Amino acid sequence: MTSLLVVKQYIKNFINKYEVYLKPVLKLILALTSLLMINSRVGYMHRLDNISIVLIIALMCSFMPMNFIIFVAAAFVVLHFYALSLECAVVTLVLFLVMFLLYFRFSPKDTLVVLLLPICFVLKIPYVIPLAMGLLGTPASAVSVGCGVMVTYLINYIADSATALTAMETEEITTRFRLVIDGLINNKEMLLTIAAFAATIIIVYMIRRLSIDHAWTIAMITGAIANVMILLVGDLLFDTNVSIIGIFIGTIFSLLIVKILEFFVFHLDYSRVEKVQFEDDEYYYYVKAVPKITVATPSRTVKRINTPRKRSGGSHSKR
Amino acid sequence: MTRMASYEEHEGKKDIAIIHYFRSDYIGFQILKSIIAVTISFLALFGVYVFYNFEEIMQEIYKMDLLDFGKSVMILYLCVAGAYGVVAYVVFACRYSRARKSLKHYYDNLKKLSGMHNK
Repeated sequence: MTSLLVVKQYIKNFINKYEVYLKPVLKLILALTSLLMINSRVGYMHRLDNISIVLIIALMCSFMPMNFIIFVAAAFVVLHFYALSLECAVVTLVLFLVMFLLYFRFSPKDTLVVLLLPICFVLKIPYVIPLAMGLLGTPASAVSVGCGVMVTYLINYIADSATALTAMETEEITTRFRLVIDGLINNKEMLLTIAAFAATIIIVYMIRRLSIDHAWTIAMITGAIANVMILLVGDLLFDTNVSIIGIFIGTIFSLLIVKILEFFVFHLDYSRVEKVQFEDDEYYYYVKAVPKITVATPSRTVKRINTPRKRSGGSHSKR
Repeated sequence: MTRMASYEEHEGKKDIAIIHYFRSDYIGFQILKSIIAVTISFLALFGVYVFYNFEEIMQEIYKMDLLDFGKSVMILYLCVAGAYGVVAYVVFACRYSRARKSLKHYYDNLKKLSGMHNK
């Protein structure tokens, strides 16, 4: 355990030391990953589906604020859908517009979730996001996660029904428009996932705020169980055909990732809990203090054992 | 001192920008921006609704009471804008008071620091 703590301290020191360089590199990786994923899933506009363009834009993103990546990703999605059909582009544009105008004005930091959630869906570990947001965010994060789920399902739906949309070229524009909207609104799996993730965030948030030992661990396990239960019960009720094994394996991996997150953010020593009471003029305080586990990184000191020899050359020259 | 420098570099900048306004001016300006945002969003969503039900609307356009339809849309818009405005008021009022509290704390600490230097 001590060696793990030392590694953690080394990582923290490394991040602190090279933060100036690490931030742009991480932004570059995030932008590159998300744009490449968008291109691989819905690369209908061949001009954008070009590695050199993606690289240039990702490089640009690395020096811009984080929210710029989301704008670029949204623009990529809309342009790809425009190449497929105008109706898809309009529906997606309206969805992004409403999301950015109504919600992300209040919590611009949460926009990252909309970018990370589709990536986590591709990696089959989407459950990590509600668990992490419940631990690090507020119940309002449920809205951001809901937006992320909606965007993911919209992209997946349009990608899956691209052939049908292309075949309907002769049909009226309103028919195709209806197909896209119906696919978004009547997607029971999407609604179930939004409900499950929102409930998970609220449960995790409420438990991790409690003044109990190992609150974070209890919160994440309870949240994960609640998430699995809601998804399974929803599958029984609405016949959503979700992969049960996928849910279990995804949840276990998500729990592992969130546990690592806890190790870095909230690692406490519950064996040394202190409960103190004190008062001032206005209040009486009942305080529970839990110490953080920290270790100092071993510093290397070079100790010279041999005394430095005097140069014999100088004495010779004197002679 | 490090925390003060960090605050000045990050949250402090935003807090100073907020505190430059009077409370009523800041909240009023933010609510105005929220109303503009909600109007654009409402128009976009209404456009989608009209286009989705385009055939039915076109068939019944001569039968339906347009004034009544317009009135119900207007009431819906006012309800949505009003509710969003209230949410915006609460959020930005909290944000303003939080910024004022943080800046007050920061200036108190600055005073303490300058006192320590003068000693």
